Amino acid sequence: MTENDGFVLLALFLLPLGSALLLMATPSRERSAIIGITAASSLAMFVLSVYVFLSYDYSGPEQFQGVRAWTWMENVGILGDKGIQLKVGADGIAAAMVLLTGIITLAGTWVSWKVQYRTKDFFILLYILAAGVFGTFVMLDLFFWFLLYETAVLPMYLLIAVWGSTRKEYGAMKLMMMLLAASILIFAAIFAIFTEAGIGTFDLEQLFAADYSTGFQKAAFPAIAIGCGTLGGLFPFHSWSPDGHAAAPTAVSMLHAGVLMKLGAFGIIRLGFQILPEGAEFWAPGLLTLGIIAALYGAISALRQTDLKLMTGFSSVSHMGYVFVGLGTFNAIGITGSVLQMFAHGVMTALFFLLIGAMYDQSHDREIPHFSGMAKQMPIWAAFFIIAGLASLGLPGLSGFVAEVHIFIGAFRAYPVVGGLAVLTAAITATYLLRMFAQSFFGEMHPAWGGLRDMAWTERAGAALLTGAILWLGIWPSPWIDRIATTVQGLQGVTL
Amino acid sequence: MGMEQAWLLPAIPAAAFVVVALFNRFIPRHGDWLAILGMLAVVVIGAAVALDFQGSFDHGVFSPGLEHEYNFEWASIGDVLRIDFSTYVDAITIVMVTVVSFVALMVMVYSVGYMRGEARYGWYFALLSFFTAAMLLLVISGNLLQLYLAWEGVGLASYLLIGFHWERQSAAEAAKKAFITTRIGDVGLLIGIILLWREAGTFDIQQIIELARAGHFDETYLTVAMLFLFAGAAGKSAQFPLHVWLPDAMEGPTPVSALIHAATMVVAGVYLVARMLPVFDEVLVARDVVLYVGLGTALMAATMGLVASDIKRVLAFSTVSQLGFMFVALGAGSVTAAMFHLFAHAFFKSLLFLGSGSVIHATGQQEVERLGGLWRKMPLTTVTFVIGGLALAGIVPLAGFWSKDEILFESLEGGSTAVYVILAATAGLTALYTTRLIVLTFFGAPRDRAAYDHAHESPWIMVAPLVVLAALASVAGFVALDGVGEALGFAGGIGELVFVGEHGHAFEFHSDIAVPATVTALLAIGVGLAYWWGTAERAARARAWAPELHQLLVQRYYLDDLYQAVIDRVVLGAAGVVAWFDDRVVNRTGVDGGAQSIGYTGLRLKFLQTGRIPNYALAMAVGIVTLALVAFGTS
Repeated sequence: MTENDGFVLLALFLLPLGSALLLMATPSRERSAIIGITAASSLAMFVLSVYVFLSYDYSGPEQFQGVRAWTWMENVGILGDKGIQLKVGADGIAAAMVLLTGIITLAGTWVSWKVQYRTKDFFILLYILAAGVFGTFVMLDLFFWFLLYETAVLPMYLLIAVWGSTRKEYGAMKLMMMLLAASILIFAAIFAIFTEAGIGTFDLEQLFAADYSTGFQKAAFPAIAIGCGTLGGLFPFHSWSPDGHAAAPTAVSMLHAGVLMKLGAFGIIRLGFQILPEGAEFWAPGLLTLGIIAALYGAISALRQTDLKLMTGFSSVSHMGYVFVGLGTFNAIGITGSVLQMFAHGVMTALFFLLIGAMYDQSHDREIPHFSGMAKQMPIWAAFFIIAGLASLGLPGLSGFVAEVHIFIGAFRAYPVVGGLAVLTAAITATYLLRMFAQSFFGEMHPAWGGLRDMAWTERAGAALLTGAILWLGIWPSPWIDRIATTVQGLQGVTL
Repeated sequence: MGMEQAWLLPAIPAAAFVVVALFNRFIPRHGDWLAILGMLAVVVIGAAVALDFQGSFDHGVFSPGLEHEYNFEWASIGDVLRIDFSTYVDAITIVMVTVVSFVALMVMVYSVGYMRGEARYGWYFALLSFFTAAMLLLVISGNLLQLYLAWEGVGLASYLLIGFHWERQSAAEAAKKAFITTRIGDVGLLIGIILLWREAGTFDIQQIIELARAGHFDETYLTVAMLFLFAGAAGKSAQFPLHVWLPDAMEGPTPVSALIHAATMVVAGVYLVARMLPVFDEVLVARDVVLYVGLGTALMAATMGLVASDIKRVLAFSTVSQLGFMFVALGAGSVTAAMFHLFAHAFFKSLLFLGSGSVIHATGQQEVERLGGLWRKMPLTTVTFVIGGLALAGIVPLAGFWSKDEILFESLEGGSTAVYVILAATAGLTALYTTRLIVLTFFGAPRDRAAYDHAHESPWIMVAPLVVLAALASVAGFVALDGVGEALGFAGGIGELVFVGEHGHAFEFHSDIAVPATVTALLAIGVGLAYWWGTAERAARARAWAPELHQLLVQRYYLDDLYQAVIDRVVLGAAGVVAWFDDRVVNRTGVDGGAQSIGYTGLRLKFLQTGRIPNYALAMAVGIVTLALVAFGTS
């Protein structure tokens, strides 16, 4: 990536933002125009994200590539030189996350054309959310980083409360309150870091290089870890996640579980590991402990869920637990595994929610025991669901395994017992998924569902896109591992 | 073409899988011929690989050198972690490739007749191709992680094929049970693999073996790692306590049982332990565990096979039992005996399964109590089935005789007299349940008239594989002999070909083992004939002799019930507790409670805002005085 690719990174989040503005100017009765705009915009985002991913040069000397800055405010008040700037740049982790966002936004857009109620407003909010996510991944200025982080979170409230289902007000409110409370911690930590660094700038690259006392790092890291961790579904701050997912409309669940939760884990790396390495090292065992608890706890809870979306929600808690286990190993293999898992879980869980939506929109029922023999009625749907499930339970050849095996190896390197428990979790995952398959997909078909149609073509296209990503990462993971591992190996204090 | 093209072996069926799975609707005959042609190509390439291997094999001297190993980097993190795609070919691989490709070909041909007219016919052949690809990948893997990948791949194929008729709830349940049970073993396998990597720094099997021989590992550590590894093998090869899935797996179509659940996938565990035996040799405690688990399973499964009433389940218990024999051989330290029995067993057991498929196809009945007298209607099936049964029972000169003799000999050499006696008794039981199965199915008077009247000999496309396999089951044992081995290109017989360690040894005929074993088998057959020939009265009397024992065996030692109870009560109970905790403690108390307590605090605090001037004035006065006191005190 060259310096001029900074414009591409800028375009990544200006594009959805611009599309949102354009949509605002479009009359809502012009449905075809809305679909046209979103089709073009999401495709462009996807192409740009693929470009960013592929053009990131992992053998190059520069960790951050495509770096470009536009100064916004300097030498006023507490700010020194380059106080606040719009500064973009991507490292290997960001490149992978950008690709993830591009894939899920595209698939999410396709399936959202089904939305009939206030379609235009739905897309406006969805694209503001996407802009926030893209922006956070590529932003190298802490001020704008946080601004975009919040931009990604806030539209969730309206998207769930207006377009959601089952207990949507409760789900939306709980999600918003918990995430905002967590944001306060991040906000406090950001200003503490700014003050402690004492260089009068929010430039992340300079903040990475600044000196912080060990005591400060140890004190500030938990604020970042809990603040960002809440968005990442860290136990015991995960409670918003299953309820929020269950209430959210399809594309929002996809973006939310697929990308937004990754923002939390990404924040821990970007702010926690990169600014406060000593604090991260000190607290890593804690992160690991919470992670393995979440992995087991989520998987065991999922065994008892009967609502398909709640089961997937707890499954997400469990899989995000792996991410924290990987981060907590504090070695290169484990952290690489974490980032791989962020990607793998992203596409897999987006596929889950896409499929649940495809069925729920028709049946208005998600209770697993109410279904049987669905493979007869919706064979393509069931096939995609089984692929997603197999990826989820860590079948080799699919994305989940590549990520998990790195986390397992990293965990075994650091703490063999935790590694063993993590492997065990994969068996529990197999149990709840296969129980669900046997109950809902196989056996005699329940006559009540004879009227259900198999997936619409937009849904098939979205599912195929996500399945493609699952297979690609599963069969040929080198493009991801090369990019992620260079960045992870550059993290300060991380053991090999 | 030779060993460096070994990767083609899994690649061809994998390509067939993709094409047939996606496009079978557009291909004539749903692409069954594509799958079969692919398999034929694999047999040919497998032969080429074997020939190339044979060229590098010189009368008992075989040094695995670099030319047998090919590496290709799949993924790596700097120098810390490197995952390869690698192939490794040695004699064990050659045996496995021969068995897998040949039996798969026979089963595919047979399936053309057996599965005719089934819904999802093309998908069936796609899955068979997928399975074969994964199985071949497994046996040519040069490193453990790739082996694990293939290992899970065959597991998936097994899951999908057991559940092939998923409209039947019992098939769906059996598939689930198979996957989850083997998955529990696989947890152990993956832990074992990573534990080995943790100390060795590599997944490469040959490097791990070298390091183990050089004493690189701590002994306790290595023991633990190898036991974990064995857990995976026990799961896949249906050894106690993870054997429960295999009898249920008979829900799958019968040709699938012949291929996956008799000849190939279930021997993956045997293959793994054989492959890693040099490491097991370093930790004899772990090797003893292999021996005793195998011994216990062999005996236990044979007793259950004695009372099972479903023709396929009898064969399934028999498979579990025979796999136990192979593990005993490995536990006694003999790769040769284990691989020899694996080789022989693959032919006669797949023959028996395909024969039972022929019966089921003809009668639509698989309860032995309702069959009988079929020899009149299905002469070829009967003859081939009897050959397979005698081979299983270990009657000279059929395949099972030679390999079982070798295992019994090794159990005495590497095990103990007690092991030998138990194993010999199990061999007797084998002859007994085989006799019962054959007599009840093919001889005596037909017990279900409708099934009998419906019966007919199967079409030639099903019978031809039976005949070929029967021929092989008759002669496969001769590869042990020096002369036959020499004619095939490995002088000294299989003993000089397949071995790990310092050197192989030529097969010797142990008359002190073979004679008692044959006498036992013949006696057992005699007893079986006496009981089950003719009326069912004598069998019923035998049952009445010890009803509790009979019940214990029919209920499979109540192990399935026990596991079910553990899952229902313990696992789901614990899950209920956790789900309750999450709902009540974390969610309602922690989150909702937190939110409500804020609301409640606000509700209470609002009364401070009384709106009355005197209250405010009092608060102000108290405040001023306090501040003044503080200021005064600190100055």
